[in-house]
Amino acid sequence: MRRIAIYGKGGIGKSTVSANVTAAMADMGLTVMQVGCDPKSDSTKLLAKGGRKETVLNYLRDNGTVDLDGVITRGYGGSLCVECGGPKPGTGCAGRGIIAAFEALEDHDVIGEHSPDVILYDVLGDVVCGGFAMPIRNGYARDVFIVTSGEMMALYAASNIAEAVDNYAADGYARLGGIILNARDVESEDEIVAKAAAEMGTGVVMRIDRDPIVQECENRGVTVVEGAPDSRQAGLYRKLAERILELSEDSEGGMRGT
Amino acid sequence: MRDTIHPRPNPIIAALYTVRDLEVDVAVIHGPAGCGFMASRMIEDAGVRVVTTSMRDSDLIFGASEPLISTLRKVKEKFDPKTVAVIGSCASMIIGEDMEAAIGRADISCNVFPIDCHGCMGDNTRGAIRAMEAAAKAGIVPREEAERQKSLFKAATRMEKDVGMASRDYLKPAKGATKHGIAKRIIKALKNGKKVAVVMVGKKELAYRFADIFLAVEEARSKLGGETLYVGNLNPDLGLPRIRRYAKDILAELGEAGISPKISGGLDEYPLCGAKSKELVDEFGPDLLVVAGIPHAYPELSPDNVLITDQPRQLANYLDSGLGLAVGEISSHALVMNVRSIVPLETGDTIREMLAEAG
Ligand SMILES: Nc1ncnc2c1ncn2[C@@H]1O[C@H](COP(=O)(O)OP(=O)(O)O)[C@@H](O)[C@H]1O
Ligand SMILES: [Mg+2]
Repeated sequence: MRRIAIYGKGGIGKSTVSANVTAAMADMGLTVMQVGCDPKSDSTKLLAKGGRKETVLNYLRDNGTVDLDGVITRGYGGSLCVECGGPKPGTGCAGRGIIAAFEALEDHDVIGEHSPDVILYDVLGDVVCGGFAMPIRNGYARDVFIVTSGEMMALYAASNIAEAVDNYAADGYARLGGIILNARDVESEDEIVAKAAAEMGTGVVMRIDRDPIVQECENRGVTVVEGAPDSRQAGLYRKLAERILELSEDSEGGMRGT
Repeated sequence: MRDTIHPRPNPIIAALYTVRDLEVDVAVIHGPAGCGFMASRMIEDAGVRVVTTSMRDSDLIFGASEPLISTLRKVKEKFDPKTVAVIGSCASMIIGEDMEAAIGRADISCNVFPIDCHGCMGDNTRGAIRAMEAAAKAGIVPREEAERQKSLFKAATRMEKDVGMASRDYLKPAKGATKHGIAKRIIKALKNGKKVAVVMVGKKELAYRFADIFLAVEEARSKLGGETLYVGNLNPDLGLPRIRRYAKDILAELGEAGISPKISGGLDEYPLCGAKSKELVDEFGPDLLVVAGIPHAYPELSPDNVLITDQPRQLANYLDSGLGLAVGEISSHALVMNVRSIVPLETGDTIREMLAEAG
């Protein structure tokens, strides 16, 4: 199983990238489980559409335990859609929520039950406290990709995430797979991001152009891969899915790799 | 002191003891069930109801104001208290719980006040200080008394760091001298007509136990002779009402036994009354000095002093610094949580037994 985490600043395009990559991989015949790790819980909305089920944390709070059927939605191309969920802004601890949600999924052997080929975590990366670092620790994710534009705040978040990955690398956990440039059409964006990536000790995996078709599809509630499969943008996402498969490691184990 | 790794009370526990001293009716620990349970049971013995909001993982994640509100309502219904202190815990404070807002929303008709503290604040007395400040704000203790208490907490912390339980990174519980050996020494001195000074530096309710040394030594003196001086921090006009009551109880009981000790301060002044005690002792010029309670509050102890403590780790401290006549009255604290009269010391009973044997 590939264990992939997509990190990046809020609003940078993580969920769009994740959902399109998941859809592209599903089209290749792979079973992908996408786990949204953002209290906003909108990671899988373009895959699972209106049919989304309860978030793991709401389910856990209301029932004291998790039932996999109650929290996993079958989405586009047989993808498995899960949202960790989390507290309302300004209350509780979203980081602790990620930890609790992972524990619950693991306790119920989500991997054994569904045997995905790929598990893809879509993680809010503004705050890299212990909870949000969970996917890059304890063997959950193996390969981390960071979505950024050439904007300063996005790069700042990216470099924080890279640092967190580095800190845990010594423990044998995740490694940095590379930077995904989700273009915002900032001046000399390619050079800026390439330079920043080099400083983080990695490279740019691919550039995803900024294209109005993304929002058009979003308004229809679908990924570009599903809604405009013949578009140039869909081709970019398919190419990105291939690149991620090339760059990531296939490992044994349940939720945590061995 | 960051380096102390042996078990020590934390600021939550210090806040809990402080609300007991303030005679608050109910303490609500806003944290998981079991948080501070050993201390809570002791405090319950002293007449305060202690409950937790029994926080769960999902309260950590989604916020815990609901469990606090429902706990407060339950407390009102079950205990109908006049005053309730809500004490923060590690769990609630890490997630930034707004206890004051939840108290407002619970809207129960009694005086409820929050104590913003948790386990990671450093010195345990910081929890006591926070409790005092919160109580003063809630009108439960006069401002002036609260300030006095705060300075005493600070003095206690300094003392513990300098010579007490926080002075080493790790103290292994130790066993000191035997009660038999200590009793023999006291009896021998009196029998030989020597001068024996007995000093108690009592920490609040623990005085109910350590004051027994006065009773036992006085029994010995009346049978054997010799000369005695009794010094205790038993000023009945200092501190919170509850603490004054302890001093009054003990003085009355000592009075019945014909003992009126010289006063070195109030029962809450244990970190400060060492110097005054020494002054009185030096004036008397004893052949044997016995210090009970918090001996290290007494300046310049020497190896021929008899020390009586309730703390096995403090015993280690004494023995390490060459104070070999230190004896442990372990578990004293549990014995005095709900008493209004003096509880015999094992050392005291040993003296009594030896007197009886001698006829
Ligand atoms: N390549 C792109 N071109 C145009 N719009 C994009 C692109 N990538 C993302 N967006 C838009 O940006 C917004 C935020 O994206 P989203 O994936 O939800 O961000 P995140 O998950 O990082 O918070 C969405 O409205 C999305 O449609
Ligand atoms: Mg998102």
